[in-house]
Amino acid sequence: MPDTLSLDVIDADGAIRETAAAAAGDTRARFLAKAGLLGGGLVGSSALLGLNPATAGAQGKSDIAILNFALTLEYLEAAFYTEAESMGALDGELALFAEVVGAHERAHVKALKAALGSNAVARPRFNFRGTTESASGFAATAQVLEDTGVAAYAGQAPRVKSTAILKAALAIHTVEARHASWIRDINDAPPAPAVFDSPLSMRAVLAAVADTRFIVPARRRRRRRPRRDTPPAPRFTG
Amino acid sequence: MSEPLTLDLLDSDGAIREALDEGMQGTRSELFRKAIVGGGTFLAGGLLIGGLPKVALGAPSAAQDAEILNFALLLEYLESEFYVRAVAGGALSGDVLAFATVVRDHELAHVDFLQTALGSSAIAKPTFDFKGTTANQTSFIATSIVLEDTGVAAYNGQGPRLRKQTLGAAASIVSVEARHAAWIRHLAAAPAYPNAPADYPAPAVLDPALSKAQVEAAVGATGFITG
Repeated sequence: MPDTLSLDVIDADGAIRETAAAAAGDTRARFLAKAGLLGGGLVGSSALLGLNPATAGAQGKSDIAILNFALTLEYLEAAFYTEAESMGALDGELALFAEVVGAHERAHVKALKAALGSNAVARPRFNFRGTTESASGFAATAQVLEDTGVAAYAGQAPRVKSTAILKAALAIHTVEARHASWIRDINDAPPAPAVFDSPLSMRAVLAAVADTRFIVPARRRRRRRPRRDTPPAPRFTG
Repeated sequence: MSEPLTLDLLDSDGAIREALDEGMQGTRSELFRKAIVGGGTFLAGGLLIGGLPKVALGAPSAAQDAEILNFALLLEYLESEFYVRAVAGGALSGDVLAFATVVRDHELAHVDFLQTALGSSAIAKPTFDFKGTTANQTSFIATSIVLEDTGVAAYNGQGPRLRKQTLGAAASIVSVEARHAAWIRHLAAAPAYPNAPADYPAPAVLDPALSKAQVEAAVGATGFITG
């Protein structure tokens, strides 16, 4: 596990990206479309936000796609913090940070799911590649995740059509920025590294997330078969 | 001042451009400037808090953008002057001085950006009296937390009233204000956080939004703006 982790470092030569695309057996765009992130097939009922579908006023598939994009990022963050807490590798302020921020991200998931109702994408499976198992891996990864979250919300805010959804997105956006600043100060990194935070497009964020390999393909359903290749455990006879 | 700011800098990967009407021509910064200045003529003159024209709950428009950006400019004038005086005053040290120096430069750059966006419609800088809060580190920290949290809530309150292309720029500023708020909160209360969760860097699941009237009342109550 490298001490410092950035998305570029993770996939410096693009090998992971190629592998991931090959494993998916598909182009990334189609993979993401299947995952529901590009809005395909999600128009359905006019689900709404306000933090329930009745009051949100999601306007068409683009708002729903944006909400599902945000929900996927929040699923990722929430799972990361929950797993890190359960691993027990954190102490001091890092443990407090994980506890507080984890609770925030789980609440964001809940709010976005409530807003989407039946249009919400399912929670993906995750593999955090060991980053939740050490304080240094956790701290570096949390910084990347939070900075990316800030840029993702900034990129989507101008694209949101529903005012109720925009208000919710803005209220989450700055909380992510507070998280980013907090973990950066713990890491002795500049908490506010620029005069302006740069937005990232949905495409750029999804590519960065794909490169982490933190989201893994859904488990294949296997036919249940009794396992006969391992001998039964010895019985305790004593 | 660190660097000249243009919308191009804010839009390195085209996210803001995505939101722009495809039919529009010209550079993005020209578009932004035209949009802001177009409706701004009614704002001429040095308007202070409380004196800004009411365009309450109107649909987003160039005129409303200009009004909101002048409101933002007023808050950035306030913040930048606060940090300029605090750093120059010599009462700060260590991490708090480092914070004040970086944030001073950010707020000055935000002022510069908003002035450029507003052009001749930009309000003049008021005069300030910080009532001694820049003269010792404890009161500096307490005041900084209030100013930064208020800035975040003010931008979040105005975001939905902006046209989309202006919202993109505002979104790139508001998260920096939130970073400032969390940074000074961390310096103020870590690691003990005696008033948890209220004194955490991120004290809530959602950041509140404040209306312009609420922000004006809060700023007015400080007496920091004197003319």
